[in-house]
Amino acid sequence: MAQLSSDHIDYIIKDLNYRGIVAEGIQDELLDHVCTAVEREMEKGTRFIDSYHHVLRSFGHNTGLRKTQLEILKTENKTTRLMLKNYFTIAFRNLKKQQFYTLINIMGLAIGIASCLVILLYVTHELSYDKHHEAANRIYRVNCEIKFGANHMNLAVAPAPLADAMRTDFPEVEHSARFWSDGSMLIKRTDQNIKETEIIYADSSVFNVFTIPFIKGNPKEALKDPYTMVISQKAAAKYFPNEDPIGQTLIIENKDNYKVTGVYENMPVTSHFHFDMMLALVSTDYNKDPNWLSNNFSTYIKLRPGADYKALEAKFPKTIDTYAGPQAKQALGADFTMEKFRATGNKLEWTLMPLTDIHLRSDLTAELGVNSDIIYIYLFGAIALFILAIACINFMNLSTARSSNRAKEVGVRKVMGSLRSHLVRQFLTESILLSVFSFLVALVVAWIVLPSFNLLAGKELFLPFDKGYFWGGLAAGALIVGLLAGVYPSFFLSAFRPVNVLKGNLSLGMKSGLIRSSLVVFQFSISIILIIGTISVNRQLGFIQNTKIGFNKDQVIVIKDAYGIGDQVQSFKDEVLKDSRILSGTISGFLPVSGTNRNDNTHWPEGMQPTEENMVALQCWRVDYDYIKTLGMKIKIGREFSNEFPSDSGAVILNEAAQELFGFTKDPIGRKISTFSGDASGGIDRDHPKSFPVIGIVENFHFESLKQNITPLALFLDKSIGLVSFRFEAKDAQGVIATIEKNWKALAPGMPFSYSFLDEDFGRMYAAEQRLGKIFFIFAGLAIIIACLGLFALTAFTAEQRTKEIGIRKVLGASVSSIVVLLSKEFGKLILIAFVIATPIAWFGVDWWLKNYTYKAEIGVMVYLLAGVFSFVIAWVTMGYQSIRAASSDPVKSLRSE
Amino acid sequence: MHSPELLKGTLQTILLKVLKDHGKMYGYEITQRVKELSDSRLLLTEGALYPSLHRLEAEGLLKTETMMMGKRVRKYYSLTSNGRSLAKDRVEELVDFIRTMSNVLQVKLA
Repeated sequence: MAQLSSDHIDYIIKDLNYRGIVAEGIQDELLDHVCTAVEREMEKGTRFIDSYHHVLRSFGHNTGLRKTQLEILKTENKTTRLMLKNYFTIAFRNLKKQQFYTLINIMGLAIGIASCLVILLYVTHELSYDKHHEAANRIYRVNCEIKFGANHMNLAVAPAPLADAMRTDFPEVEHSARFWSDGSMLIKRTDQNIKETEIIYADSSVFNVFTIPFIKGNPKEALKDPYTMVISQKAAAKYFPNEDPIGQTLIIENKDNYKVTGVYENMPVTSHFHFDMMLALVSTDYNKDPNWLSNNFSTYIKLRPGADYKALEAKFPKTIDTYAGPQAKQALGADFTMEKFRATGNKLEWTLMPLTDIHLRSDLTAELGVNSDIIYIYLFGAIALFILAIACINFMNLSTARSSNRAKEVGVRKVMGSLRSHLVRQFLTESILLSVFSFLVALVVAWIVLPSFNLLAGKELFLPFDKGYFWGGLAAGALIVGLLAGVYPSFFLSAFRPVNVLKGNLSLGMKSGLIRSSLVVFQFSISIILIIGTISVNRQLGFIQNTKIGFNKDQVIVIKDAYGIGDQVQSFKDEVLKDSRILSGTISGFLPVSGTNRNDNTHWPEGMQPTEENMVALQCWRVDYDYIKTLGMKIKIGREFSNEFPSDSGAVILNEAAQELFGFTKDPIGRKISTFSGDASGGIDRDHPKSFPVIGIVENFHFESLKQNITPLALFLDKSIGLVSFRFEAKDAQGVIATIEKNWKALAPGMPFSYSFLDEDFGRMYAAEQRLGKIFFIFAGLAIIIACLGLFALTAFTAEQRTKEIGIRKVLGASVSSIVVLLSKEFGKLILIAFVIATPIAWFGVDWWLKNYTYKAEIGVMVYLLAGVFSFVIAWVTMGYQSIRAASSDPVKSLRSE
Repeated sequence: MHSPELLKGTLQTILLKVLKDHGKMYGYEITQRVKELSDSRLLLTEGALYPSLHRLEAEGLLKTETMMMGKRVRKYYSLTSNGRSLAKDRVEELVDFIRTMSNVLQVKLA
């Protein structure tokens, strides 16, 4: 068998190479094939060169050879495993080579994704409220809207007899149930009273409407008998540790004995009520209250499957006429009809609210708990999207900006026979790889910051590591973000024409950046909007905190549950006042912060017939002598209540709003207001109205959230022992508390002592806004940081691109400062455009949010300018470092390279 | 000589069967073997042979080993266990196909 000489083999290698067989692996294999074939030919006595050409002919010369090579390459490319491996290797190499940009990309994306993740957890948590009830989509709450004269109420409660009427009158109602709240209560097992806030009276049918799983006892029998109760697992552990609570007794409010007949699982956090104790509603007199005009019961109905709640709602007006009509007529006189009542613009309406809407869409009077607001969901969702968009844009910008560095690579790859789809896949692999890295980092970041976020948002969120959908979602997210961020750069890069790229005709970098510029503008517009939003929210908060509220909220301590010491409350107050640090004190359950007592009643100027036009819905607060002094309100006309006038017990002090509505504009002192008195049976006595002379007018003060107007209010000298408030000297708050507690303990042993400061209670009314302010601040900050990261990398890149230009400029005499300006100018312009775009959008947004408030802060032009200047300065500082570094570099170095 | 079009669908089967019968072989050897078996009526072109070999290798049906021969490197192909079982199936399938074709075309095979 003939053997080719080394020279022959070299010749063949060279020739094959020349003919375009270059691919690794294929080259060797074809060489061997050709050599063997040539040897066979030569065995027949043919000359080497003839044999070689003969063999080449069998391959089909150049075209055939190259076609074979291409076919093999194509096959290999199609086999995903190999090609993926190749993509990954190249991607890793590229990411490693460009460590700076990779780091910036991963950091930016990770921060963005972590923010998104946290916000997403928050949003899903908020959206999952009350979904745990089996028939959640068939349960509705009956809301009640009343408009009567100047009085307008939106209530989450309904009349007592309504629940029964619903079930008997409407076949589509399967079950109905009521809760009735009597505020917090004192509970004891033996001697130590504990104050329970999550306690409620409930119908036995609540277990038919809601899904409340029992651990012990029978839900079918629970709460059927008077003086029985069911308690949560938590309460069971608190009152009966290591004991069986069933059959045990708890004492409510020092008087009633309730037998425990069941223990239920703790109610989930995602429920709009979280009762620890439920008492049988049948134990109270209110249970059978026949009054259709007073609303006190949270009423829920469960419809039969397939029933339409809108159709049911449409039947309500007739029911109102049937039941409430006659009672209203009795109260308002014989000529009252529901038709006339409605015709004069008044309203008495029942509506149904789906259970699952309550948490996010209900902010009515007498809710069972504090609800959230759907606006926050929208806001946070938008912020999450914005941050993610900013982070993705960074990625896109950096990838396309660096395209000139990779243009040659694209050219060579294409010349080598790479198809466009291969390149697209290559770049997408890189971006997906980067996004997967970022997701991993983001997961760690989210895990670290979640506790702090929980503290801020008042939630108990956690990452559901044990859930399959969580990991599936993350993987899908990584893929989608990778695709989104990578799709534009990959199509942009892969579209290069190899001829242009390799000849160097393609001028890239900053000039081809129309899209890139608009993306930067977009990023900074969002950042500026967020900055303006943050400043505005905080301004409004400051305004609320510092606005003239009409009373002095500082240095007032409020002692809670004073009814616990009953008749001794007066002596408690007197004892405490002996301390010189305590300036004054007042006993009243009515305070100008929400969450304290409220009581309204209609009055009219004495001597007139009560009609819908002249009746005033009046907040009637029962206070004692020192109320105005202690809370620091101002008397405008007349005087405050005084011991020296025994007749003051029948007198009234009005606020300015009431003065105006009663029409007492001139000389109000001595005028009288009247109201219906009650008759012996608890009904209304129309014939003998009671009248009260006005002895003073107090300046308007805010007693609800500043979202609302100040409504008419009257102070009466009467007993209301829910709370005792003391004004004290600023110096020694701890000592004051100790003194008060000592007195309390002496007079009310076994009663829990709890207190708060009025300014804190006041601040709590705006807790949601404060939270919003802080969260806004943090996420706005993050958005800016991510945007600046991108800008930082972009400037670094431009500076690198223009090294030579800068070098030449310096040689020709350009100063450092002029070069810095040159480099910053481009981005400066973009930020200016962003500012122009962002301002009107932010203005609309802020204006919309402030519409919620009756009393708004002035958001001046300064805020907008400040936000603009701030973002400009931040961006400039970011760019400045790079620019100065580039500008002050030695031109010799930059020009000598290459 | 048979048309390459007819060869297309059966090329992989031929490669698997030849390798099954002969153990490890290199590319040129395979073309020669097929030529021999078919009395020069079947000619495997290199442009069809090598892509097929590479595809079968990528699919895990073939394994390769290389042998240095001075300046030349020879690449031997042989069946993996997967390839071996598939070779049997493919041959049976093809025989079945030929039988069907003879029925369809109404010709009697020798």
